[in-house]
Amino acid sequence: MSEDERYRTSTQYRLWSYTPQALLALRTTTNQIAADRVREAVRRIREARNISSADTSEAENGRSASAAIPEGEVDCLTVEEELKLVAFYSRQTLQLGDHLKVPTDVKATAIQYMKRFYITNSLMTYHPTDILKTALFFATKTENHYFRLTKFADAIGKTKPEDVLASEFLLTQGLRFTFDVRHPFRALEGAIMELEAFAKGGVPPLPGALIVEGTLADMEKRVKIAHGKAREYLKISAALTDVYFHYTPSQIMMAALMIADHELVQWYIGVKFPAADGVMLSKVLEVIEKCADMLKTVAPNSEPSAAEKKELSALAKKLKKCRNPEKMDLVALQRAKREGDGEDEEKIVKKRKLERESSAREADDLFGPPIKKE
Amino acid sequence: MIRNGASKSLESNPSDDICPVCKSNRYLTPSLQFLINPECYHKMCSTCVDRIFTSGPASCPVRYCGKTLRKKGFHKAFFGDLKVERECDIRKRVGAVYNKRQDEFETLLDWNNYLENVEGLVFDLVEGGKEDKMRAEEKLRAYKERNLGEIEANKRAGLEEIEMEKRRERAEKEAARQRRLAAVREAEEEKMDVEKSRREVLEKLASGEGDAREITEMAQKVVLKKSGARRIASEAILQSNGSAKDPNLTIRGLKKREAPVAEKPYEPFGGVDLAPSRYVLQEDYDSEWLANAKKDQRHAAGGFSLHEYYARTMFEAFSGLGVFIEDEMGSKALPAVPSSIGTEAAAEASTGKIKVEHKMELDDVF
Repeated sequence: MSEDERYRTSTQYRLWSYTPQALLALRTTTNQIAADRVREAVRRIREARNISSADTSEAENGRSASAAIPEGEVDCLTVEEELKLVAFYSRQTLQLGDHLKVPTDVKATAIQYMKRFYITNSLMTYHPTDILKTALFFATKTENHYFRLTKFADAIGKTKPEDVLASEFLLTQGLRFTFDVRHPFRALEGAIMELEAFAKGGVPPLPGALIVEGTLADMEKRVKIAHGKAREYLKISAALTDVYFHYTPSQIMMAALMIADHELVQWYIGVKFPAADGVMLSKVLEVIEKCADMLKTVAPNSEPSAAEKKELSALAKKLKKCRNPEKMDLVALQRAKREGDGEDEEKIVKKRKLERESSAREADDLFGPPIKKE
Repeated sequence: MIRNGASKSLESNPSDDICPVCKSNRYLTPSLQFLINPECYHKMCSTCVDRIFTSGPASCPVRYCGKTLRKKGFHKAFFGDLKVERECDIRKRVGAVYNKRQDEFETLLDWNNYLENVEGLVFDLVEGGKEDKMRAEEKLRAYKERNLGEIEANKRAGLEEIEMEKRRERAEKEAARQRRLAAVREAEEEKMDVEKSRREVLEKLASGEGDAREITEMAQKVVLKKSGARRIASEAILQSNGSAKDPNLTIRGLKKREAPVAEKPYEPFGGVDLAPSRYVLQEDYDSEWLANAKKDQRHAAGGFSLHEYYARTMFEAFSGLGVFIEDEMGSKALPAVPSSIGTEAAAEASTGKIKVEHKMELDDVF
């Protein structure tokens, strides 16, 4: 079973790998459905308000939402706008992670959770500030970095544990119950380790191959420099772009290394894929180049420019106006659901109790229940 | 089935006591003995047989029978019921011809069919009318003629088997006898040994050389050692006896048994080969930030192994390097994924949800 076949067994490959076109198509349909739902929900609430305008006792949901309901046609977000906002909130997640002092892989996992969630869900339906907290909390669990919930909520500030847990199942479902995210971080360490071993010499690159002879000049130093630079790209660029959906961790890692030191990676891949298999070699290099191009779109130390910031704040305002009023308060929804369930159960219990009591009463009489007189 | 001897006191069937030919009575001739001839199974007393058939073959004295009988053919009936006697004779005769054995057949069904065939033939011979009997006789004869060689071979095989059984029994008896003898001899030897050592001890004690207690202890040790050695020797003999089997003693006719193939060790993963193909895992790698883990044994205390780490990092570095998602996923249908995940309950719970007919629909939890 080769390395590639083993990767193909992962959920990241099976469920969360798309071509760019497929990804865009998914996001477009999600956006359209969500927009339709928002318009429908707004229309419903308006109708309800018109009917019971005199009535003060409206449904809690409707009341809280009706305050935010704008007049006129709802202006929904487009796919591009949603993407920009997701990118923005991904950055927010990184900052939040820094604030909570969680390791890199927790942050990266949280961002991936969010990105995955917003493929099939829209920002208009569920607001990212809710989701990103839950995603980060999940990531601490899946990446083995224990964080107590109350402490977590406290550390974020202005957050209650219920806020974090409200979208728990929602997110889980959005992730299609797959929590495994394959990162390129450990892969980078492996590649660097091997490159360093090559620099020292005496290591065969492939099973059954000869020991590497001609290395690059000044290799050790180059590897070290490339390592640091590549790591930055993996930490930030890889997290903020869509590379996880389009490339494998190994390719992402190679791409980050390639940005750091193009010649080094070309030599490395050349060593790994013997000249006899020229097709594979050129194909792998091509894919890595593509991935590197994608990574370069978001430089590690780049900050949104002033114009972009302005645009983002405008988008945030727009999002406020076009949110689905029925899904505004996740905590309340969660509570309502839980209580609704409880009510049902209570009813059943009561009914059973009554039945039991009546049958017990009847059984108490020696000759059964009395005969009714006519 | 009633045996002749046992029935005497129980039954008072007059036909058992009176000869149908000469009408002589058991009461008058206590030594009355009935004989039959398998030609016609008519019963008559031994006196009648002597009287009628001593001078040569004659016809059966029973009325309307008229079969020619010889004195040689007469014998005492084994069963009281002559019908049974006759059937047994017929079975014996048929069985001598149809003497195939089960392991000659490929399937159980074939064997059972054969048995049924034979049984039908026997029934025809025993119970059938004249025509049936004739036909069956003819069949038996034809079969016998055609399969003479096989029948002979089977007969011999059967005899051999019986012979083998007898021989094995004899050998077993002989072995048991040998064992018994050996045991007796051994006991005697032991006794003699003990006697001898005791005598020696006494002699030594008498001569007054060395400490008395030492001598007795030594003697005891010697006795123990000797008996131990004897036991081992006898066991060895026993084993060699057991293993040296006479090849002639094995039972013939059993199906060939194949030597069991040595079982390979169980493989839980069904032969999955996880050997790396893109790199050669080294025993040790230099890494700055692993330097501490290598030195500090607290890292290894919990079972953490650097080799595991090396294997994992190297695997992840190359796992999926040759997977081209654009090519592989491109061939899949576009909405490759979630057709509504939500359950019925979830769908109900989401009050007044718009039903948008689309595969991508992801029902809400709330």
